Amino acid sequence: MNWSNVKLILAREVRDQLRDRRTVFMIVVLPLLLYPLLGMSFLQILHLMQEQPTSVLIVGYEETDDAPALLENDHFAPNLFRKPGKHRLLKLHFAGIEPDEEGVSVWAAARINTAEEAREAVLDGHYDAALFFPEDFAERLGHVRSLHAEWAQHAGDKADSKGVVRRPPVLPAVPQPEIFYTTANEKSQIAFARLFDVLRRWREEISRANLIVGGLPPTAVHPFEVETSDIARETGTSGIAAWAKILPVMLLIWALTGAFYPAIDLCAGEKERGTLETLLCSPAERSQIVCGKLLTVMLFSIVTAVLNILSVGLTGWLVLARMPGFGAPPPGAALWLLLALIPISALFSALCLALAAFARSSKEGQYYLMPLLLVTMPLVILPMAPSVELTLGTSLIPITNIVLLLRSLLEGHYWLAVQYSLPVVAVTLVCCLLAIRWAVDQFNQESVLFHESERLSMGLWLQHLRRDRMPTPSVGAAVFCGVLILVVKFFMSFSVAKPNDFGDLAEILIVTQLAVILTPALLMTILFTRRPMQTLLLGRDAWRPKLLLAVPAAFLLALAINPLANAAQLMIMRLYPIDPDVLALEGLFKEAPNLGIMLLLIAVLPGICEELAFRGFILSGFRHMGYKWRAIIWSSILFGFTHIILQQQLLAALVGVVIGFIAVQTGNLLPGIAFHVTHNSLALLISKITPEMYQRSAWLQSIMEPVDGSFAYRTSALVVAAMFSIILLFWFHQLPCRKSEEEELREAIKIGGEEPWENEEPDQTEADSLTDDQRKPITIAADN
Amino acid sequence: MIYVDGLSKHYADLRRGWFVALDGISFHAKPGEIFGLLGPNGAGKTTTLRILATLLRPTTGSVSVNGYDVLMQPSKVRRQIGFMSANTAIYDRMTAWEMVEYFGRLHDIGREELRQRMEDVFTRLKMNDIRDLLGAKMSTGMKQKVSIARAIIHDPPVLIFDEATAGLDVLVARALLDTVAELRDHGKCIIFSTHIMREAEKLCDQLAIVYQGRILAEGSLNELRTRYDEHDLEELFFQLISSTASEDKAEEAAAISQ
Repeated sequence: MNWSNVKLILAREVRDQLRDRRTVFMIVVLPLLLYPLLGMSFLQILHLMQEQPTSVLIVGYEETDDAPALLENDHFAPNLFRKPGKHRLLKLHFAGIEPDEEGVSVWAAARINTAEEAREAVLDGHYDAALFFPEDFAERLGHVRSLHAEWAQHAGDKADSKGVVRRPPVLPAVPQPEIFYTTANEKSQIAFARLFDVLRRWREEISRANLIVGGLPPTAVHPFEVETSDIARETGTSGIAAWAKILPVMLLIWALTGAFYPAIDLCAGEKERGTLETLLCSPAERSQIVCGKLLTVMLFSIVTAVLNILSVGLTGWLVLARMPGFGAPPPGAALWLLLALIPISALFSALCLALAAFARSSKEGQYYLMPLLLVTMPLVILPMAPSVELTLGTSLIPITNIVLLLRSLLEGHYWLAVQYSLPVVAVTLVCCLLAIRWAVDQFNQESVLFHESERLSMGLWLQHLRRDRMPTPSVGAAVFCGVLILVVKFFMSFSVAKPNDFGDLAEILIVTQLAVILTPALLMTILFTRRPMQTLLLGRDAWRPKLLLAVPAAFLLALAINPLANAAQLMIMRLYPIDPDVLALEGLFKEAPNLGIMLLLIAVLPGICEELAFRGFILSGFRHMGYKWRAIIWSSILFGFTHIILQQQLLAALVGVVIGFIAVQTGNLLPGIAFHVTHNSLALLISKITPEMYQRSAWLQSIMEPVDGSFAYRTSALVVAAMFSIILLFWFHQLPCRKSEEEELREAIKIGGEEPWENEEPDQTEADSLTDDQRKPITIAADN
Repeated sequence: MIYVDGLSKHYADLRRGWFVALDGISFHAKPGEIFGLLGPNGAGKTTTLRILATLLRPTTGSVSVNGYDVLMQPSKVRRQIGFMSANTAIYDRMTAWEMVEYFGRLHDIGREELRQRMEDVFTRLKMNDIRDLLGAKMSTGMKQKVSIARAIIHDPPVLIFDEATAGLDVLVARALLDTVAELRDHGKCIIFSTHIMREAEKLCDQLAIVYQGRILAEGSLNELRTRYDEHDLEELFFQLISSTASEDKAEEAAAISQ
């Protein structure tokens, strides 16, 4: 890579962005102003919410005149509140009394007398809540107290004279006061909470008074108090948990936003203004252009995130730290956030750049923000769930893993972070590279760089797909088919009831294979390709005699790979233990009438249907990408996703790579089917091995050993299997693989010594030293 | 200098199916002459020139520029050419000087040499008064001058002008044509596409009349005049095009009647 051009492009783009007022505003001014303003208004709103008085109607206030007093000067007694002055927050209105204050408009408090009327008044919103004391409430309360007093007087002498302790009197029930409020109104709920608190304290006062009258110490009902102590508060680390949750999410959101807008301006904007073509016909390589732009976007992403976090930190330190549960941000936060920011912004920048390159105009680019957010937000939000912690499993989920790693670093769990830092870094790096690759690819597609906006017309488009169909499907068609299968399968999994017996299960399996997987692939093959048989790898030239040898070879390869697959599966299961629910489903297989039907359902049917779809239609489509291995891997990923649980998906994707390789090398579907059927059958048969069978067969004992109630291959068997697999894979490798046109073109360009986007130092002499033969222009066959 | 042999380009198009933008065209252009591509809109001129500038890949055929193949050695081809079209705009937030300097440096020209060349080019194109003017504030004529300066700053042997006078007023267009002629006199190989007959007549040493992705006629202006016995280029152009159109119709009719 010629870095001088990259530096040049980077410098220009940065200067260009800094001259754009919108960018500077978004990146510098907004964060510096936003958070202090937000913090201020948040505090004010909070203040307002707490200080807002609520109006309460009291019906039957005459019934509360007893000591201890509930009311004092038209308010609840101040000693019934925890904090002084809060009694003013409950504005009381008394039924049957006209308000004496001037200008206070109280809705006909004078006219209300009954509980029913009070209820209506609250319902109509005239008061936030109403407190109703029934008639003779005070009288009966007084009666209870006098009973207490009487009992206390006589208790001593009665017990002494007869030697029997007199039982306390049976107290008559006191009629209940009632609070009317409505949860449909937030203010009413606040009023209720305040009222309830006041009444509770009043009740405590009354019971304390009663106890004293009855001659008992007040501690009788409060034998002990609970003391709480927050260690975090003592050590000054309070609020770290909250910061550890907020800061990583904030970092990700701002890294994404900071990357998005410059990316749109740098790609879609340039396209729109016509300067991209100018740049593309300069000697700068596509990869240099992408690299320069990527670094620019990354720089802006980092600066945006840093400024935002700084501003948040400052605001938090100054304002939020005063709130309970919040302390200053944890120490060392800045370092960890900065460290994590680099891979995060690299990933987001590459993603945004690729999307922006795809957009025709800045306006179209803006539309892509929402889908991008929809995809990334769940990954960012997932770690917010309390039970999600850094494990090997979660450390493999992109984005989520960085958030979790950051969180454990911020919380000070350094050892945990160190343990999982390797998978997190590896996964992030792979994602970054993929995203960058995608961005570079976008810049190499002339249809993306030069497509003019055309009016969207579904009919025309479908017509175009049918009329201009190629011999084999396009990459887009392959992706569509794969996604269609996944989506239909997803909806089916919800609409179908859980299977109860083997019959249900068999039905689901058959419908899934035939309707969900096979039908879309076959329909699309017939409708959108010119050579259906070639697409499905069943064409005439697939039947060359040497290739027919490939069927037994594939069968042998499946035998050889089975121990490896088995070991891989055990390893996957150890990483991600299977849910017991799923295991229960597997129990249904035991109800199968016989092994033959099982094999048919689990091996033969999927072997044929899935091969036709994934190695037939989809892989044939992906071959147009121009890279054999990329085609195989993408088709395998889609293949993996059609399996239900994660554990199966991982293994299936790996197996898919092997079958894809066989299909590409032989150009024929049958060896792949042979492999698939054998592979699935063996997996089934191994699960059928019983301890008795194992005891009887010396042969089984030589290759397998019992592990946790089932059987696994011995290490020696694994080594032998690996050797045979390599030999067989090599045999497939040396077959004359038929390349697609795109693959041939790539190869021709490679032989020509210069990939269009790979840089080479400008070197006149090298070009001159090319022989005439090498310089002979290549001619590529027309499309049809 | 430029060899184009059997060049075709196909696009997928919703309405028309596989659209053949170029249908096996061949020509070659020499240094010190202006090769004109004359044709109506949609004839395939822009596609041809974009392929020459390595912006598009040919579907079939071969194209070489100064000995380099556009498909195999695109970056070397780009060093041989200065490309200017209605679509190669200039940056809004860059001054004229910065813009030309940027492209000069992308071409790996040393700082001192670049400065000298820029002084020279800015003087020659009379651009010294707009040196520090931002692109967004320039008039169309000024922008055009910056574009030319950008295309010639690395002194390329081949210059490609695609409808370069489109949207220019008479004065600016004339100045541009003068510059192009001057560049030819410096021994550059120039390809110039246009749909304006007057420009082609005045400027081009060799002419190819392009229509529906094919070259209908090729030669110097005088050769064409004698071959078709028609002095007026515009008349000649119409005759060629209408005869092709009627041939096409006859073919279609024949195809339908079969």
